[in-house]
Amino acid sequence: MIELQGVLKRFGTLTAVDHVDLSIKEGERIVIIGPSGSGKTTLLRMINFLEKIDEGRLLLDGNEVGYRRDKKGRLVLDKPDVICALRSEIGMVFQHFYLFPHMTAIENVMEGPVTVKKQPKEQARNIAMDLLGKVGLLDKKDIFPAFLSGGQKQRVAIARALAMKPRLMLFDEPTSALDPELVGEVFGTIKALAAEGMTMVIVTHQMGFAREMADRVIFMDNGSFIFDGTPREVFSENMDNPRVKAFMDKVL
Amino acid sequence: MLSGVLGLLFLIIIPFSNSSVHAAKGPDQYELLAKGMQLIQEDKGDAAVEMFKKVPAPAPGEDAGIFVRSRMEAAKILFSKKDYKDSSVMCHKILVLLPDNLEAKNLLAEIQETQTPEWLLFIKDMKTFLPTLVKATVMTLLLVFITMAISPIGGLFIALGRISRIRILSSLFWCYIWIFRGTPLLLQLFFIYYGLPSLGVTFKPFTAAILGLGLNYSAYLAEIMRGAIESIDPGQMEAAKAIGMTYWQAMRRIIIPQTYKRLMPPVGNEFIALIKDTALVSTIAMVELMRAANQIFSATFNVYILIQAAIIYLVLTSIFTVSFRKVEDRLGVYENR
Repeated sequence: MIELQGVLKRFGTLTAVDHVDLSIKEGERIVIIGPSGSGKTTLLRMINFLEKIDEGRLLLDGNEVGYRRDKKGRLVLDKPDVICALRSEIGMVFQHFYLFPHMTAIENVMEGPVTVKKQPKEQARNIAMDLLGKVGLLDKKDIFPAFLSGGQKQRVAIARALAMKPRLMLFDEPTSALDPELVGEVFGTIKALAAEGMTMVIVTHQMGFAREMADRVIFMDNGSFIFDGTPREVFSENMDNPRVKAFMDKVL
Repeated sequence: MLSGVLGLLFLIIIPFSNSSVHAAKGPDQYELLAKGMQLIQEDKGDAAVEMFKKVPAPAPGEDAGIFVRSRMEAAKILFSKKDYKDSSVMCHKILVLLPDNLEAKNLLAEIQETQTPEWLLFIKDMKTFLPTLVKATVMTLLLVFITMAISPIGGLFIALGRISRIRILSSLFWCYIWIFRGTPLLLQLFFIYYGLPSLGVTFKPFTAAILGLGLNYSAYLAEIMRGAIESIDPGQMEAAKAIGMTYWQAMRRIIIPQTYKRLMPPVGNEFIALIKDTALVSTIAMVELMRAANQIFSATFNVYILIQAAIIYLVLTSIFTVSFRKVEDRLGVYENR
């Protein structure tokens, strides 16, 4: 569905993502792990254009999208309406939720369909009710985010992303900002989504995601893929990559 | 009351004692009056009063002119010496003989006024001038409300220009803010009203006042709004973009609404300053509260007018302070405090 070819991102002199190739197939569930500062989040943000790539190509269904070259040959983002249309097909869930604090839970979920897709309010409300029911928060629909727990906020954020009916969901450390006892509810929601066949890429430090729902686990370090394989391979006793093994020994 | 009784007593006693016995023997009444006037010339007030008192009351049917004249002069001297009691006794003596004597009546009124407590005078003045001041206050409020309506629009426009990534646009609005915040409002008003006509642009005072206040307050509000917009977590813009919003959709739906509560305290302060700043337009021929107060003050030198104007300003600013506080609380309903 989406393919990254030789993408590179620099922040000043630091190369955050270094010539990475990644192909995401329909229905695939990819979990990206690795130490902090390895470029996982940057890679994820590049997929929905929150981070501009400096080199490489981004393909959607085989067509190059999102970028054109300026007179000096540098990559620049395509016109805003093109980018917005692309983004609306990709859902994103952030570590710090970023719910809209001035809107109730249901208004947060309705916001995309109403403002971006120009759907009638009633239709958007029905979709939102549906999704809030799915994440188990229908009773909280008229509550402002400030009065929700971290786990509840993140579930609303997932519903908000799903309301746009995305083809792909990106999760950027979805449980890292949560108290340990709240990880489970968010974990469960994402697992249920995976069971429905949603294509997803999850950046996480929770090995549970990799073990329980990944088709594919990518280990990233210093902006490159060090390992790309099945969960069984990554968690295997006879892992032959020393850096992956060293990391696994630390986190497990 | 007391003086009235005294006056009556005099009326009863004098005809029998003074006039009948002394009139013939003592100095002539004309002479007494002349001597008294002489003593006034010599600055001997007390002696003059004594002299005037010697002028006998006229017998019934006799001409009262000299008697009235002498008592009046005595009353005036006593008044100037702040001996209000004796002065009014003199006046009443005159009024017993000539109830319509204007001079005596006026002096009595003046004595009464001098003896009225200050606060009573204040109330009296208020009754006289308050309608004028209130009418002028309507103009002040009109200026305030129109400026309050237009400057947030101008301010938002300028603030968005300031945070634009288009360098020229951002510098242009930076310049605007720099000029309007960096020069006195009074100068800006003078420039618009007195300066622009020489460049061929003429405004009526009201238009010039609104223009000056509007341009100036837009600049101040722009900086406040820019600060508020930039204080919103950048994650909010990212989350809005992630669901497919354009920059402007995100601004309108997500970022700007979150600034409202944060804007209230500083914007409230600006609008309170605005109430006071409207006084400056009195310099460009606008009749508002300050100008009306000043006009009355120049004509009467009555300091209470200025105090009354101050009280009206205080009432206005107090109402604003309380209202803005209320609005701020209402805007924060989504916060967990």
